[in-house]
Amino acid sequence: MLLHDLGHVPWLDSQLIYHAQARIGLEALNILAPREPYVCIGFHQQLEEEVDLAYCRERGIPVFRREVGGGAVYLDGRQVFFQLVLSKENPLAQGEKAALYQRLLEPVARAYADLGVPARYRPVNDVITAAGRKISGTGAAEIGACLVLVGNLIADFDYDTMARVLRVPDEKYRDKVFQSMRENLSTLRRETGREYSWAELAAPLVRRFAEVLGPLEPAPVPEAVRAEARALAPRFLAEEWLLKKGRRFPHGREVRIASGVNVLQHVHKSPGGLLRATLVLKEGRLEQVALSGDFFCYPQNSVEELERRLTGAPLERTGEVLEAFYATRVETPGVTVADWLEVLGAKGRS
Amino acid sequence: MKIEPYEFPDDLYYTLEHVWARAEGDLVTIGLSQFGQDLAGRIAYVEVPRAGRAVAKGEPFMSMESGKWVGRVKAPVSGTIAEANEELEWESDAVNKDPYGKGWLARIKASNLAELNELMKPNSPEFAAHIAAERAKYKK
Repeated sequence: MLLHDLGHVPWLDSQLIYHAQARIGLEALNILAPREPYVCIGFHQQLEEEVDLAYCRERGIPVFRREVGGGAVYLDGRQVFFQLVLSKENPLAQGEKAALYQRLLEPVARAYADLGVPARYRPVNDVITAAGRKISGTGAAEIGACLVLVGNLIADFDYDTMARVLRVPDEKYRDKVFQSMRENLSTLRRETGREYSWAELAAPLVRRFAEVLGPLEPAPVPEAVRAEARALAPRFLAEEWLLKKGRRFPHGREVRIASGVNVLQHVHKSPGGLLRATLVLKEGRLEQVALSGDFFCYPQNSVEELERRLTGAPLERTGEVLEAFYATRVETPGVTVADWLEVLGAKGRS
Repeated sequence: MKIEPYEFPDDLYYTLEHVWARAEGDLVTIGLSQFGQDLAGRIAYVEVPRAGRAVAKGEPFMSMESGKWVGRVKAPVSGTIAEANEELEWESDAVNKDPYGKGWLARIKASNLAELNELMKPNSPEFAAHIAAERAKYKK
């Protein structure tokens, strides 16, 4: 299989090359990083819901929609991308999704171990540190007759800019996203305190992938791939493609930080007024809860008390927590347990 | 037809990629078979096609996402999209929960109904052999 170890490339090439390879049906492993930072959204996302486009344009940060799944990410030269293009006929591309992810992400976990960070694959598509923090963003797609798997080794990560480029309902929410990312997403630098050269990062990735893929043949990117990438550029840069209709969240905002970790803001109109809940949900448990709105409650500090009671509760138990809360003679005219369950996203689960 | 634990209604046609098709006149309703949705995993989002779009047999025309994996659905027959199941944009797990009912994907106004004869019927030996091979391949 061809190996293209390309170092830092123009940002657009860091996306178009693998889209071109998959269309042509040419198997390859690319190891590269973007020379300029950019924002990359998932195939099914709705750009205006996910990204602060005005901010990106003001700062000259390009925005790209990939054909691979997952969420919006801020990508820069401190992340080394691996992009694996396999024919669907290749036995390595066959089997159940989880088995396939495992087969192709275990080399990434081993590369991290080679770099001094004990990491492991966690189903379905995560690579995590010993402490359980995500340390690689990954995604896959069927493009043409190929399966594409992309991901990164994260040498360092700009948490501030990542949190800034997202469209958020308010700054409190942005802060939750930032804090949750800091807690649940790690980097080589945070784990080891070290900086790595390109060769230090690329070598273990290539070596570990070769153990699964077989011999890799270093080669320049074929002209046919370059030509296809150039031909694809106008379509991928068109507003129509960028603004394509995608997944919407009618009840609020949701940002997935890592597998099982989401920052959400839900809004619900109850007869007693508007309820707003900003939540960090981890493995089905309310890790952080902030409630606000324009409803009336008595005694006045009851909302803080409810936040305290809900924090740490599994989503399925929120009904019980609410019943116990209302048993303390709290009054919220026009706002019932059912309204809270709605805004907590626990309706039908509690 | 039941191939434990999967159900394959006898009145449907099936593609090699586990899409089912039901003809009513020249309208062909399609979806993912129970086996197909099991292979796909929990569907997080379905991008449904717009009505009026032309589709060609064997060509991908819509997509769905599960576990950050974008999969494509190929048309079992050629024609134009008469209707898409818009509900799936909000309740994509209907594909998993009710693949032959609420989880239908689209209706195609077929341009050549004879293409259905190129698909498999569940009581054929060819179909049983295909499912057996797929279960071995995917360890299902």
